[in-house]
Amino acid sequence: MRTEILASGFGGQGVVRLGQILGEAAVKQGYRVTMLKSHGTEMRGGYVRSQVVISDEPIDSPIVENADLFIALSLAAYNAFKHLVDSGVILYDPAFVVEIDETLRCTQIAVPAKDLAVENLGKAVFANTVMLGVTARMVEVLDRDVVLQSIMHVIPKYQEENKRAFETGYSFIDGN
Amino acid sequence: MKRYLETGNFAITEGAILAGCRFFAGYPITPATELAESMSYRLPQVDGIYIQGEDECAALHLCIGAALGGYKAMTATSGPGYILYADPYGWAIGCEIPLVILNSGRVGPVSGITGAPGQGEFYLTRYPTQGGNFETIVLAPNSAQEAMAITVEAFYLAERFRTPVTILADQLITDGFEDISVPENEEEMKEMGFRTWPRKINKGPEFYPPTDEIDIPPVVLGHNTGALCSDWTPTEEGYDIEEVAAHHKHAYRLIYKIRNNRNLFSNLYEKTFLDDDPDLIVVSYGTPSRVVNTAVKKARERGLKVGALRLINLWPFPDEHFQKSTRYLSVELNWDGQLVREVQRAVPKDAEVHFLGSCGDLPTVQDLIETFEKLLKGQSLSRRGWELEGW
Repeated sequence: MRTEILASGFGGQGVVRLGQILGEAAVKQGYRVTMLKSHGTEMRGGYVRSQVVISDEPIDSPIVENADLFIALSLAAYNAFKHLVDSGVILYDPAFVVEIDETLRCTQIAVPAKDLAVENLGKAVFANTVMLGVTARMVEVLDRDVVLQSIMHVIPKYQEENKRAFETGYSFIDGN
Repeated sequence: MKRYLETGNFAITEGAILAGCRFFAGYPITPATELAESMSYRLPQVDGIYIQGEDECAALHLCIGAALGGYKAMTATSGPGYILYADPYGWAIGCEIPLVILNSGRVGPVSGITGAPGQGEFYLTRYPTQGGNFETIVLAPNSAQEAMAITVEAFYLAERFRTPVTILADQLITDGFEDISVPENEEEMKEMGFRTWPRKINKGPEFYPPTDEIDIPPVVLGHNTGALCSDWTPTEEGYDIEEVAAHHKHAYRLIYKIRNNRNLFSNLYEKTFLDDDPDLIVVSYGTPSRVVNTAVKKARERGLKVGALRLINLWPFPDEHFQKSTRYLSVELNWDGQLVREVQRAVPKDAEVHFLGSCGDLPTVQDLIETFEKLLKGQSLSRRGWELEGW
């Protein structure tokens, strides 16, 4: 079993934090995990990327080459990595990914995480947690409660709001 | 044993503390800043000392001072800081002072790209200072967990050989997160194969004899022994001198204490599918080796007779692994080809040696398998990176 999750966007969107939370949840569930982060100097045109690999065996290659899930949080990130998804799923926030590539064979799901965060919690900053909720629902190996625990551990502030944001995301797929 | 999702920087910090490191001086630089940060937090908890130097040169000089005061000391940086060690590194080699140095490779030259991996200091770690007449010990882990083990080992070797040991990692190891198990007591350390060596104090001879002997404890100031710490050539009697015969003895010791006792760490390598005389041996170290391992396993499933040799002990270079006359491919995180030159030197005359470079990003499994296929068909590789066409 090997599950590959890629998240990418601007600096400050919480891309690294997101990968860390998913990785920590998987460690708590007893899996082997790698989470690579790369960050150029974002002001000079780079993007931030987390590559999470979850496996029940020791992990050799830590890179995501065939993503089961790609979370795209900027148009530049979407265009840079969309080709890494074949049979997997792309989750994108239409507030940032304003144009998608209709020629791709994979499933693409628009998750208006920023709008949902503003609507339900009054602040865009919770968009990341909304996306984590959707991710916990989409990725089979991840346990919902353990992901929520990891959010609470990694982000000790605003626990009530983060819980609600997580629930919003978790129920999003089923409601649409 | 405690399990975490943590960075290589965290793992190295814990490894250092398990090995008895109680002094760290450094200067912040991505991707080694978090190591300085975690040392600043962890060392005071174990009665250790953390100092931020005014620059990297000062930081390593501070470590030398601490080591001469009886501490196991460490510093950490990336390529742009490692070059600033040139002066104190030479002092530490010449005065035979045990130290551990982490170089977390990013993309160069100069500041290059901060948050991406590179392997541009393969030769720099062999010659981190001027003057020659010495060997260096350099170890390269390929995961956060192994980085912890290699840190413990680096302290062990530094003490026994009385010399600085460089850990050559890359940004993906130090900055990347991974599941890590940290031993909580000596028994668990032993279970994980960690070995440690206590700081002993030289009570004589005045300096060191002109032999390849290791395990003569290093000089610690304030213990009524000769405590030569000079940048000139030392004599056995503990004086410094500018004289050819004395220098010859000193150089012999610096070179042969390491060359003749390499067996202490020459077991640090990993061989995958090398038992059946493969038609291609892929050589690598650090994070690229993990992608190589996946690629080689997949290539075997497709019937390609490929094997992988991963070097952990980089210097002194382990020539003994390159006896077979076959095809070799060196996979590195640089465009100029560094490890490949050493492979070319070490292989038999009729062996074929190829190079696949990339920088800032790992090669993919797919890239590697395509490369293996080409080489096994006898096709030449387009020299990626040396031709801008098609980029």
